[in-house]
Amino acid sequence: MQPAVLNRRILKWSLGAAAALLLPLINPNPYHLDVLTTALLYGLLALGLNLIVGLTGVLHLGYAAFFAIGAYTYGLLSIRLGCPFWLGWIPSAAVAGLFGVALGVPALRVRGDYLAIVTLGFGEIVRITLTNLDRFTGGPNGLVGIAHPVLWTPRGAMDFGVASMPYYYLVCVATALAAGLSVRLSRSRIGRAWIAIREDELAASCAGVPVLELKLAAQGCGGAIAGVAGAIFAAKQGAITPDSFDFILSVMVLAMVVLGGLGSIRGAVIGALLLGSLPELLRGFEQYRMLIFGLSMIIVMRLRPQGLFGGFQRGSRNAAA
Amino acid sequence: MGITPLQLFLQQLTNGLTLGSIYALIALGYTMIYGVIQLINFAHGEVFMVGAYLACSLLIVVSAAIPGLPWVVTLLLCGLGAMAACGLLGIAIERAAYRPIRQAPRLNALITAIGLSFLLQNVIMLIYGATDLQVPSPVPMVRWNVGGITVTVMQLVIWTSGAGLMLGLHVLVMSTRLGKAMRATAQDLTACALLGIPVGRIIATTFAIGSALAAMGGMLFAFHYGTINFHDGYLVGLKAFTAAVLGGIGNIPGAMVGGLVLGLLEGLGAGYLSAQWKNVFAFAILVVLLLCKPTGLLGERVADRA
Amino acid sequence: MAARHRHRFLQVISLFAAALLAGCGRSEPIVKIGFVGPLTGDQAPQGEDMLNGTELAVQHAAAQGDVITGHRLVLVALDDQRSPTQAVAAAKKLAADRDVMAVIGHLNSSCTLPASAIYHQARLLEISPVSSNPQISRQGFDTFYRTCATDDLQGPAAALFIVRDMQAQRVFVIDDMTTYGRGLANELIKKLKELQAEVVGHEGIPQGDKDFVPLLTKIKSLNPDLIYFAGMFPEAALLIKQRAEIGLESKFMGGDGLFDPVLIGLATPKAAEGVYITTIGSDIHRIPTAKQFVAAYESRYGPIGAYSAYAYEAASIAIQAIRTAGVKDRSAVLTAMKTMKDYPGLFGLQNFDEKGDSLIRDIGIFTVKDGQFVFVKTATWE
Repeated sequence: MQPAVLNRRILKWSLGAAAALLLPLINPNPYHLDVLTTALLYGLLALGLNLIVGLTGVLHLGYAAFFAIGAYTYGLLSIRLGCPFWLGWIPSAAVAGLFGVALGVPALRVRGDYLAIVTLGFGEIVRITLTNLDRFTGGPNGLVGIAHPVLWTPRGAMDFGVASMPYYYLVCVATALAAGLSVRLSRSRIGRAWIAIREDELAASCAGVPVLELKLAAQGCGGAIAGVAGAIFAAKQGAITPDSFDFILSVMVLAMVVLGGLGSIRGAVIGALLLGSLPELLRGFEQYRMLIFGLSMIIVMRLRPQGLFGGFQRGSRNAAA
Repeated sequence: MGITPLQLFLQQLTNGLTLGSIYALIALGYTMIYGVIQLINFAHGEVFMVGAYLACSLLIVVSAAIPGLPWVVTLLLCGLGAMAACGLLGIAIERAAYRPIRQAPRLNALITAIGLSFLLQNVIMLIYGATDLQVPSPVPMVRWNVGGITVTVMQLVIWTSGAGLMLGLHVLVMSTRLGKAMRATAQDLTACALLGIPVGRIIATTFAIGSALAAMGGMLFAFHYGTINFHDGYLVGLKAFTAAVLGGIGNIPGAMVGGLVLGLLEGLGAGYLSAQWKNVFAFAILVVLLLCKPTGLLGERVADRA
Repeated sequence: MAARHRHRFLQVISLFAAALLAGCGRSEPIVKIGFVGPLTGDQAPQGEDMLNGTELAVQHAAAQGDVITGHRLVLVALDDQRSPTQAVAAAKKLAADRDVMAVIGHLNSSCTLPASAIYHQARLLEISPVSSNPQISRQGFDTFYRTCATDDLQGPAAALFIVRDMQAQRVFVIDDMTTYGRGLANELIKKLKELQAEVVGHEGIPQGDKDFVPLLTKIKSLNPDLIYFAGMFPEAALLIKQRAEIGLESKFMGGDGLFDPVLIGLATPKAAEGVYITTIGSDIHRIPTAKQFVAAYESRYGPIGAYSAYAYEAASIAIQAIRTAGVKDRSAVLTAMKTMKDYPGLFGLQNFDEKGDSLIRDIGIFTVKDGQFVFVKTATWE
């Protein structure tokens, strides 16, 4: 890359990072921070789903299930074994990722639109199972008393508790890392292979791309990211119930990815920021919230179907980012 | 007062068939639309729901305007009215939401459908309120005891309407020019367009018919259970879609069979296994079937998309 | 600038502007009472019912003079849509607003549970009108109070009534798989087993489901003396109606989630005849102190629902605490609440135990007769 372009990029990202880091100090309102944190958490989810739907073109309608699995994994570890958050998020990611692969194996034998419905089915099955398995998951009561993250500082232990600021930073870091990972992946051989699968699966497999394995890899990575998001969510809420992980959530995350533009990493985050803060921004119009959401999805699809940053159309030569 | 295992089984069977008939009516819409434009019309479940609400409103209007009408006539009036209105709704949906994005990737159509689903749900909610709407059914509550099994008039109404409509559809699709055009369009849209068949109109008609059937399903559903809620479209729609896939997507007799089979399986599952896991059971059927026989029970009929 | 850059620039600017604007406060002296409940969605009527009760309390209080001298009392209502995530967001919003001195909410136990932690951290008084899950008050939050009985009382009370008064020995329990329903069902079953009644089966039904005929047919073949349903009235109405449709003769009883006049209409009065329910409080219509409230409510809002009285009670108590504190300080309000004794409320003299639970632990038993709820007795639970 030319030095001028590189410098401009570094400057841009540095400014963005600085703004993000300084924001809580400019406006310490915990409510605003909380809304932003939630939106950024959606951003994390969108980044994960972007790997599956955006880059690889696998239509997934059950993404909330991985979010749930991550949340419950950390929740159970925290309650039953006293596992701290900084350790607990790893098994969350791993288990969710494994489920992503495991659920992917049968599902990927099914084609196109059917795949979407099968993933929807899986999502619902996971949610209902979590609700029904009283003894393990607390059933509809869910899990209560999940430990918040505790940071060891020179001044002693700082429990995140229900303060807004620490979670804001946590989610910022997690989202930034996931974004960075996505960028690296998309520019790597794997990423290019994923895009090839999305654009024309038949041609890709003829060219020697191991389609099935890569699709599973995408689902695994996407699932793992959702797992991390789930762990963060559980740690933040302190209590989780199965009805937080329903089909509507899967749809919303999908809408964020599509709104941002399939495959676009910054699109996923921005789509999430916009749609994720919508419920709170529309608080005055509670009755009309879902209506506006539905209407805006239709309008966006009509007027700008490639999403905000979707550069990826057939024949496009631009790199992803 | 107990009942024998055989009676229990037959009763569950009866229940299942009732539910299945309603699923079948809605599944037909899914399958027909998928057949012509390869789109999962997510909003179809909401059309069912709208049909239910419209039928209730019509019931109030008709009962007030012409009191003392025999219930069969009332039923017919409400049914036809709801079907007509939803038929128009179907055409409107196709024209406004799906047609403009026909060329876009499939994912976009899916998102649009979901957005439409939310839109319809909430419009109804704003009009009728978020609580369950109570439906005073015009059908008299009469029960017969047939060898220990309870059968109600409403169930009979559902069976006969369902069967009648499905038969009518079958005749339409198999024996009329319109039906032939629909089948041709489902097989190869481009070729039909090239041959001068008014493909746009055919698609609109398909939407209209599918929506009308769903509306009838909605009316029967509303009168059978006595309450409806703007949320009902989602789950019922999903199950009806499962039924359509079960029978083979695009395959009209398949949708009918799929609906009945799903209704039976769900009823038997809820009765013998567990009501709690009922929906898991339904989804599991879908998944297993797709893995073992993705073309469904009767084989799918979709255009080949190379 | 390229379109993308302009877009991003505008975004940052607008975020900044919003942040700045939010910092500006108003100079008019207000003191706020917060309310959170499901104002949209399928539980909107219940939420609205609670909101109306709260509103009435605020009005009555304002009519009696300034709660804090020189300050106007304002009610801030937020919607949690029955979602725990949104409940937490709403809680944070109220906690961050320095004018809010107390919160009435939430309705669902699954929302109240996580939200209570937020209020606790913000030292903000929270009184829940109807969240009956026992876990909430066991978290040790000194900011949490509630004006209703808890399910670990309602369940046993129902069990005793079933075994002693209704003489039923074989019971089939159904719940709606929510925090509240499952919790109540479990408490009931625990006590039933203690009383050596036979629990013939325990099944859950998903909320929003309509077809219970398979389940009821199965129950018919098991032939229990009584069916108990722990859940809300929409599902209950369908259960009752379909039970009649298939000719199932077992008696039917439910929890306080059924205590809504709409139930009888939905289930049809004929089918609902003879159904029993437990409630987390006594019959509001029988309490002389409540007559005025009922009249005031109905003249303004129409038919009274099941929750408005509790909300009115909770709000009135909260306002009284603020009044006693006399200053716009949350800790002072908490202290006033803690030291409050014998508040003359709708349900009698209100006192709270150290966990925040109300000491008025009446569980009422009602039955449906001629299309109306009729009070039977106040239940005992030991």
